[in-house]
Amino acid sequence: MDILLIIIGTLAFAVAAPILGCLLSGIDRIISARMQGRVGPPLLQPYYDVRKLLEKDRVSVNASEGIYITCALLFTLLAGGIFFSGGSLLMSVFIITLAALFFVIAAYSTRSPYAEIGANREIIQVLAYEPMVLLVAVGFFMAIGSFDVSAVLSAETPAIVKAGLVFAGFMFVLTIKLRKSPFDLSYSHHAHQELVKGITTEMSGSTLAKVEIMHWCENVLFLGWVGMFFVWANPLSWIIAIAVVLFVWFLEILIDNNFARVKWQAMLKWSWIITFFAGGINIMILAYL
Amino acid sequence: MGMIGFLIVFPLVAALLLLCIKNNTARNVIASISTATIALASIVLAVVYFGHDGFFVLLNPIIDYACSAIGIIIAICILAYAIRYKNLLAGILALVQVGAALVFEFGFAHGFEVQSGLYVDSLSLLMALIIGVIGSGICLYALGYMEDFQAQHPDSKDRRPVFFALMFLFLSAMFGVVFSNNMLWLFTAWEITTVCSFLLIGYTKTDEAIKNAFRQIVMNLLGGIAFVGALFFIAVNFNTLSFSDFLAAGVLNPDAAALPVLLLAFAGITKAAQMPFQSWLLGAMVAPTPTSALLHSSTMVKAGVFLLVKLAPIFSVSFIPSVMVILVGGVTFLFTSFMAISQANAKRVLAYSTVANLGLIVACAGVGTPEAIWAAAFLILFHAIAKSLLFLCVGTAEHHIGSRDIEDMDLLFERMPRLARYMMLGIMCMFIAPFGMLIAKWATLVSFVETSQVALIILLVFGSAATFMFWGKWLGKLAGIAGNPKNEEMTVHRSEWISILLMAVLVVLCCVGLPIISKFVIEPYIATVFADFAPSISDGNLIIASVVTALVVVVLFAGLGKGKAKKANVYLSGVSVNNDSRTFSSSLSKETEATARNWYMENIFGEEVISSIGTICSALIIGIALVGAVALAIGLF
Amino acid sequence: MSYLTKSPWVIHYDASSCNGCDIEVLAALCPGYDVERFGIINTGNPKHADIFLVTGSVNEQNIHVIKEIYDQMIEPKVVVACGVCACSAGIFHDCYNVIGGVDQAIPVDVYAPGCAVRPEAIIDAVVQGLGVLDEKAKALKAQKKGA
Repeated sequence: MDILLIIIGTLAFAVAAPILGCLLSGIDRIISARMQGRVGPPLLQPYYDVRKLLEKDRVSVNASEGIYITCALLFTLLAGGIFFSGGSLLMSVFIITLAALFFVIAAYSTRSPYAEIGANREIIQVLAYEPMVLLVAVGFFMAIGSFDVSAVLSAETPAIVKAGLVFAGFMFVLTIKLRKSPFDLSYSHHAHQELVKGITTEMSGSTLAKVEIMHWCENVLFLGWVGMFFVWANPLSWIIAIAVVLFVWFLEILIDNNFARVKWQAMLKWSWIITFFAGGINIMILAYL
Repeated sequence: MGMIGFLIVFPLVAALLLLCIKNNTARNVIASISTATIALASIVLAVVYFGHDGFFVLLNPIIDYACSAIGIIIAICILAYAIRYKNLLAGILALVQVGAALVFEFGFAHGFEVQSGLYVDSLSLLMALIIGVIGSGICLYALGYMEDFQAQHPDSKDRRPVFFALMFLFLSAMFGVVFSNNMLWLFTAWEITTVCSFLLIGYTKTDEAIKNAFRQIVMNLLGGIAFVGALFFIAVNFNTLSFSDFLAAGVLNPDAAALPVLLLAFAGITKAAQMPFQSWLLGAMVAPTPTSALLHSSTMVKAGVFLLVKLAPIFSVSFIPSVMVILVGGVTFLFTSFMAISQANAKRVLAYSTVANLGLIVACAGVGTPEAIWAAAFLILFHAIAKSLLFLCVGTAEHHIGSRDIEDMDLLFERMPRLARYMMLGIMCMFIAPFGMLIAKWATLVSFVETSQVALIILLVFGSAATFMFWGKWLGKLAGIAGNPKNEEMTVHRSEWISILLMAVLVVLCCVGLPIISKFVIEPYIATVFADFAPSISDGNLIIASVVTALVVVVLFAGLGKGKAKKANVYLSGVSVNNDSRTFSSSLSKETEATARNWYMENIFGEEVISSIGTICSALIIGIALVGAVALAIGLF
Repeated sequence: MSYLTKSPWVIHYDASSCNGCDIEVLAALCPGYDVERFGIINTGNPKHADIFLVTGSVNEQNIHVIKEIYDQMIEPKVVVACGVCACSAGIFHDCYNVIGGVDQAIPVDVYAPGCAVRPEAIIDAVVQGLGVLDEKAKALKAQKKGA
């Protein structure tokens, strides 16, 4: 049954994604350190960080912020559950957008100057990446013939064959979605940013811990979207997909370490241009040829 | 059939009664009873007739003559205004229209007998529910609102009798539009809505109101003339004035139907304020808020899209009108969504979003597949509810904070806690999953993808991103919490609260009950128009959406503001003076307040840039389509 | 052991130093010393920080700022006075506008003297601060259980 599967999927995602996401984040920090000629933190450092945040005192600037964040985390888990249980890709996209909205409102609700700038920038980021993300779903449908992710399991060829340009466009906006430099405008992992901590300025303790966990889950979900392009009926394709996902993750870390942050104008302009051409041409080819 | 007649006649009687009554209390009583009666009657009608589609034999020459008489009265009314305010264009157009209509009625129309004057199907029942429940809810709201309005404009004459009479007349005309099968009656009802909105927009009689009212009448008269033109061609080519017969014949003979359908579509586009005619709906914002709410949600513009959705079967076989409608709708959706980003005036944001969503409905109608019609029907429903909720909230907020600027709605979450939550609900319903509007948009996207409408897909994805931006930042303004501002919503009228609550309950019920509405209301209509149909969104997904909706609503109304954490100050770089009011000591040791405005990105999404591009694009599309259709028509003879 | 000791995030405030100690603090945070090995991250936001590094002495201008940043940090938290000026106001102790060391404004947990303080000394002080942080964490836990 559809819904039962999604409930099970969401529960499984809620357990597995934080673990996977935490490890990915740990690997990210070690690789980044090596790229900078450092040893870097232990692999489980992100886990220690979150456990520490949970130990801190519970303080908040208003009574609503924490609730918004809890909702955002829940919706992220649901979006992941829908995707990994083979549900509708569009539904997953829409629910993750809902999570993004609650995250933004949480920051707005604090009415703090720094958090508000972060929230505004986050909205610009959504504006920049949302068209491409929707086109990913459209391209996926046109290549596989269904919005259901489970359809890849019976597909004769992987989506990448027909939707290569869409995938390329998605790679571009993925950097925004993963909050990596040069597009980490609203919130960054690194100390180098000038706006205190952007969208999370007023979040602390357990609320910040939830944001971290949400971020891990998001990363796993988005990398799942990457992997989805490379799976087809052949079970061996899973190995290829995982290899590609790991490679993309490495690539994102490399980009993160090699680019300075750009202005929002450049982000918006380039992501829309690339969306228009990469997505548009690919979809036109699929529609008319 | 008696029920339908009652729905058309009763508001008319109420309108006459309200026109004669000057006493405030009496008006409140009569209007309240009438709204309740209309709402109840439309619900009863829906319950009785759902699943019982059919036509009603009604052949009465008196009604035909009454229609001619109404047409003449309308023309005289417009002419009188045109002469008084020296607007030549409106006068000429009114004369042209009434002349053409009279020639048509006495020269052609009386040769045709339309056996069944009225009809009922699921779509018209859905529309009747929207008009009956939401429309009368807005009339109820207007009671409290207009009292404040009159109090705030003490020097202007109390013309509320006229106002309420027009509101009820509007409802009556709308019922006429959705139930008439005789196209002559349909046209008359159509023209009544045009003139009613003309009078309502010009209600305050300020220079701006008069100017905008004339802009509305000019554009809609163009549509009206196109409508008469379509009637000529239908009468000549198809020998009928029955809407249903025309639809059936048009599907079989798409080439002959191309020109009349195109003209009807043109009329629908003007009424639905699509580009290049969007400016009349923007101008209509000068009217008192209940008028805007009525025009935007349940009447006027919905008449336009209703007509287009009815024409959908012909669009699916007739190339030229279909392409015109699709492109105009898509272009309108994209550009008006962009322009909404640049607006700070809440009512203008709402207006642009209305035009954008109507664009989507228009595009769906043009695509004309069952999935697209499913999406269009839901877009109509959810847009009507959510938009009326938003307009009512903005109207109330305007009267209590003295501004309709979104920037002034800062901290509304604390200043007007109940109202802000209703407003947030309305906004969320407009643009975010899992609320109904987005489910409908989802179905729209699916139908575009399935019919390989590449241009529409591109327009839709970029427009949707813009939608997120302008709603998201407004939501952010509302959600702000700082200090302990005074509660300003104690003096809101009871009638306003009742209507707002009604709309909010409808939003939640319809969103949560979406799978049920789909099964029992929308799908039957589609099944009668197209043979086989399965909704493009599976039941499982719809159920998830309704569960998540319920969760969001619970959080919004029960969860927020109940956290138990210790209260902390916001970070102001360690130099705060008064943290509650966000003031800090600047580098010159001066007390400075930290404030933030939303982003409007005027230089990218400003009206001046976008509006001209959009107007040119859509005017070109319409022009080319018109030439094409005329060429096709000449080729046929 | 509390997880606080595995992930001490720091915030740095320059009160009124000659900038010598600030540069040393930043040097300590540079890749060369790789303090991320111990989970140390420079946050720039009191709400995220566990350890407050202050350089320079307290004067009339900055005493409120130090207090506010300290107040906005969330328990459990530790203050490290970096450099002799932060410890005791150093050679500026008898200036007309200087109040004294950081402990004149907020409670200081670890003193790291030096003019300028060496990065190694700062890292040592932070590691010592971890012990204090651990104790405070335990105290907070006990208090929460008691409440």
